[in-house]
Amino acid sequence: MNDMSWTPPGPPQLPPQPVPPPMPVAFSGSRNEFFRLVARGAGLELVTLGFYRFWLTTDIRRHLWSNTLIDGDGPEYTGRGKELMIGFLVALAILMPIYLGYFLIGIEAEHLKAFASLPLVAFFYLFGQFAIYRARRYRLTRTVWRGVRFWMSGSGWIYALKASLWGLLVVITLGLALPWREAALERYKMRHSYYGDLQGSFEGRGWDFFKRGWWLWPLMPFALVTVFGPFAYAAFKAIEWRWWLSGIRFGEVRLESTMRRSALIGLYWKVIGWAMLLGTLFSAYLALCIFLAASINGSSIADFFRTEAFARSIPLMVLPGIGYLALALAMNVVMRVYLMRDLWVRVLSSTIVHNIEAAANVTARGELANALGEGFADGLDVAGF
Amino acid sequence: METDVSQANSAAPPVPGAVFFDGASSRRRFVALKLSDALDIREDGKLLARWVFADIRRSDSPSGLLRLSCLTAPSLARLEIRDAQLMAALVARCDRLEQDLPNRKGVAGIVGWSLAAAVSIVLVVLFGVPLAAERLTPLVPDSFERRLGDVAEAQVKVVFDGKPCSNVAGQAAFEKLVGKLRETAGLDNSVQSGVLATSVPNAFALPGGKVYLFEGLLEKAENPDEIAGVLAHELGHLRHRDSMRELIHNGGTSFLIGLLFGDITGSGALVFASRSLVTSSYSRDAETNADTFAIETMHKLGRPAKPTGELMFRVTGKEGGKGLSLVSSHPLTEDRLARMDKADAAGPANGQPLLSSAEWQALKSICGSGKGKV
Repeated sequence: MNDMSWTPPGPPQLPPQPVPPPMPVAFSGSRNEFFRLVARGAGLELVTLGFYRFWLTTDIRRHLWSNTLIDGDGPEYTGRGKELMIGFLVALAILMPIYLGYFLIGIEAEHLKAFASLPLVAFFYLFGQFAIYRARRYRLTRTVWRGVRFWMSGSGWIYALKASLWGLLVVITLGLALPWREAALERYKMRHSYYGDLQGSFEGRGWDFFKRGWWLWPLMPFALVTVFGPFAYAAFKAIEWRWWLSGIRFGEVRLESTMRRSALIGLYWKVIGWAMLLGTLFSAYLALCIFLAASINGSSIADFFRTEAFARSIPLMVLPGIGYLALALAMNVVMRVYLMRDLWVRVLSSTIVHNIEAAANVTARGELANALGEGFADGLDVAGF
Repeated sequence: METDVSQANSAAPPVPGAVFFDGASSRRRFVALKLSDALDIREDGKLLARWVFADIRRSDSPSGLLRLSCLTAPSLARLEIRDAQLMAALVARCDRLEQDLPNRKGVAGIVGWSLAAAVSIVLVVLFGVPLAAERLTPLVPDSFERRLGDVAEAQVKVVFDGKPCSNVAGQAAFEKLVGKLRETAGLDNSVQSGVLATSVPNAFALPGGKVYLFEGLLEKAENPDEIAGVLAHELGHLRHRDSMRELIHNGGTSFLIGLLFGDITGSGALVFASRSLVTSSYSRDAETNADTFAIETMHKLGRPAKPTGELMFRVTGKEGGKGLSLVSSHPLTEDRLARMDKADAAGPANGQPLLSSAEWQALKSICGSGKGKV
């Protein structure tokens, strides 16, 4: 019967069945592994002067996606760094003439009135929203679960127009319209999102979001200038996550989030703590640099500043530069560990999936989208995960 | 509740070694695997797929799970194995399992290419952009440059809140001075010039032939030669079309350095820092050239250049030691003064004074006495 004597083929002993986790959504990744991933990535970003970011972003997503378990099965991120790089280069080729045109139109506008070209910034806002939509489309089409991919239709430009008009309304109402803006935009995004032939929808309503978070609105001016700020921001983000997740539907599948308002406060304070620690270290390092440079120069510190030696000292130009780079990279690692990985885990651990059986037999559909949107988002500095 | 399809399927007694997703639906199929010369995937005895070992690739998966795909199968078909023994057997058979995953060799390639790209960008910034600015500047039509100048002029007037000064006698003296310099320097009469009522001690040239002097500088000046040298310096910028060249140079440099650090709008801190290093060295060269032009023009008129240096010194004071000389856009004032002093030593200043003392007084009060004449 079997020509391989050393394998357990056919119907042998029972292999351990995947144990369904108590919560439908779980995360199995190791924090140390993620830290090693981003620390190594930061080093490579330094060596490659930033070009490695495409591959690091990809590796981070691969780690987060594949360690997430939904009904016992992990999704898979199938995007590759090379695609992101090509997307960036194409976006660059498109943005270059646009920048030039922007410059020329700006000159004509300025010709009529000084600083009349400032409203043209609005055009880039529109472009940024387009990039956000298309970047999400790329990420979604690279997400595969149970051998079926997510995908997205709809138009990036219509989305950008909606986002801009709603944005204008938010500005006019001093932020009060924000919940309705988010609800409207999310409805558009989810209506055009699919898992196989299962169409998505968004049932969160602006009013519900408003009811949960309105008290933050009058506090904002106060929060912006005091130590209260991170608390308010963390509460806002927690409310937003909970409201957003609880509104997501794919066919009959329904998500629910039980995230508490205080769930993210610790995360933000940890980041602030690390930033302060790293900042202190950097200041100490700067002081050391000055001391070293002065002693190489053979003068006292006071003399060193009084004379031209200060301006001509090569070590005093190079050493702080290196320190600054190290600071930036360390901050990147901290942000990625806390605000990507830990945030991801906290969001997942408060998420429940209802009626997952509706996704048990979904027919595959949908085409891959290109990474152009990601490229624009990178070039215009409007980012997401 | 009714049991769904996949549950019903999997409820069959022989519980096999793997889960299979065929890539056409999300149905979870419990399958039996058979390893012969290829991998047979069977569900309830029916052959679903046959994967050749050389075509099998690993896909991302949580730890403790081996997830496989196959080049010849639908691209999203996946086979998931949790049994350690079976995993080991498969890993041993599939010799190209890891081939398509990012690996060490791939990273080395990325590093190598990035460094090559970085070196090429740096070379273009250091050599290509100045060359392009040099070659492109003469190609820019005058009319376009004049438009640019109009724009810059409008902005400058807003920023410094400066009104043009128009005292009649002062205006006449100013025009006489500019006219003399202009003719000597060989510039045509399209040059526009004026004095702006602003206390900032400065003067500047704008694209398209505009030279402006701020009242603040006029107040600090002690004789016509001082002002003449400054104006000659600005005319030098016009002559060399430095504003245009600097615009092309700055634009190109920002763009390329932004490309390097991934921010093509060029606003990041690192971008800003490295750009100011590059462009300020370029601008220092342009300033030195304009100084040369000013010295030559003043000497053609038979006037000394040193007073200009003295005026600048009076305005800035001793500069060395105040900031990083590598990032400043102008050469150090004391160096400029020394250079002008040295140039004057070559020939005596024997020309006529550029303005009579009455004209000089009129010029000095070009802004102040607009309403109530002295």
